[in-house]
Amino acid sequence: MDEQDETPERRAFLARASTLFMAGGLVAGYGACGAIGVRYLFPATGRVRRWQFLARAESLRVGESLEYRAPSGERIAVARRGEAGKVEDFVALSSTCPHLGCQVHWQFVEKRFFCPCHNGTFDPEGRATAGPPFEAGQSLARFPLKIEDGVLFIEVPMEALPRPGGAS
Amino acid sequence: MGALSSWFAERIPVRPGDLRELTNEPVPNHLKRWWFCLGGTPAYLFVVQIVTGILLAFYYQASPQTAWDSVRFITEDASYGWFLRGLHKWAATLMIASVVLHQMRVYFTGAYRKPRELNWIVGMGLLVLSLLTGFTGYSLVYEQLSYWGATVGANIADNVPVLGALAKQLLLAGEVYNEHTLSRFFMLHAAVLPSAMVALLAVHITLIRLQGVTEFVDAREPERDRGTFNFFPEHFATELTIGLVLMVLLAALSTILPATMGPRADPLVTPEVIKPEWFFYVAFRWLKLFSGTAAVLSMGFIVFVMVAWPFIDGWIRRRRAGSEFSVYLGIVAVLALLALTLWEAAVEH
Repeated sequence: MDEQDETPERRAFLARASTLFMAGGLVAGYGACGAIGVRYLFPATGRVRRWQFLARAESLRVGESLEYRAPSGERIAVARRGEAGKVEDFVALSSTCPHLGCQVHWQFVEKRFFCPCHNGTFDPEGRATAGPPFEAGQSLARFPLKIEDGVLFIEVPMEALPRPGGAS
Repeated sequence: MGALSSWFAERIPVRPGDLRELTNEPVPNHLKRWWFCLGGTPAYLFVVQIVTGILLAFYYQASPQTAWDSVRFITEDASYGWFLRGLHKWAATLMIASVVLHQMRVYFTGAYRKPRELNWIVGMGLLVLSLLTGFTGYSLVYEQLSYWGATVGANIADNVPVLGALAKQLLLAGEVYNEHTLSRFFMLHAAVLPSAMVALLAVHITLIRLQGVTEFVDAREPERDRGTFNFFPEHFATELTIGLVLMVLLAALSTILPATMGPRADPLVTPEVIKPEWFFYVAFRWLKLFSGTAAVLSMGFIVFVMVAWPFIDGWIRRRRAGSEFSVYLGIVAVLALLALTLWEAAVEH
């Protein structure tokens, strides 16, 4: 290296560049560690869902409904509304309130689903009729259904938390 | 004795004079009134929480299979477990109450104004952390109300636009409450949030020490009552007295109204009447009054206004000198807080 190249400006530039390079390395290194930490905290896998046997399609007549209990324990109201025998004739309503996740229950006299958390109500079709879900235009979620060879299947979550008395 | 003290003096080179200088913050005379000591109260209760929390953690097991049974064991089987759990529960209640009262005192006396704006923001951070610690702690019992409170809380986060779904996943460790949720709440409650609170408390106290305690000039006050007194030992003795009173109060509350056990959580049955802890009544009622996103966004806006209030207030006072707007707004806010809390307490749904 030529001695004359070692000007103060060149030295200052090299000092600044190496400082920036070092700082960049530190930010990138610790930033990567931080990103790994945050990613670690997110769930590794999504909720496991599987197709389950529900009933023979013909066994449910128009206007009838049945209560299906998923492996996760969730109660699902399945109803038939049409004659054609296609999957669109059936509806499977979740019992989880779309507002803040509480469990709704059927009120026989009022013929409605009721959520005790924030007083949301839903008609038999799952449409909100009062309370915060109504104001937000929400409905009870519907589970995917399919018909294969005349058999009705439903796609539901599989994991369950323990319940009092060991029931699931 | 002399040899021993010189042995220590050689290894810890701090002179007694330096220590006196460090601790002898001149304290204005108005701090002789107990309601000006409400900042020390939550700090004292925080220490009670750490000590009782560590003891409770010796038996607590954070999993859906074991949590409720381990709390029942602490409450019914472990020696003095009922008492320690009672202390933890009541100290949490009093801590949140005193944080709120301290904030009201700071607000109504204008102690957040220049140059103390940053310390108000740090205090807001401590308020939010206290509420989050209360929320996660209540969830750990894994009884019906605490389970459904946690579910509702996580779904509130879900209503926040853009980041809500991510926040919910991060809080629950999944789309819904699952096997990993409770241990996450436990880590947040016992490690992450208290660590953050210790850090913010250090900043809060350092800023108070650097800027000094706010001095008030009350024209009605006799001249002789103004001035300052020493932090140590006079004010320290006041804080010790308050600590003693609090300890008696906590022990009495824990004995007369001990922490009880509700029914074990049932993830498939939401109780007919569901209530969070009293300090969330106001938010719970708000959620019943407005639809999800509107309720969450308006609550976020209110918190934002609270955080930025020293600057908003400064802007108002620059335009209208001597404006009492902050006092009127404060009275309305306190009345609204009380009304919504009492409303939620008075009705089932």
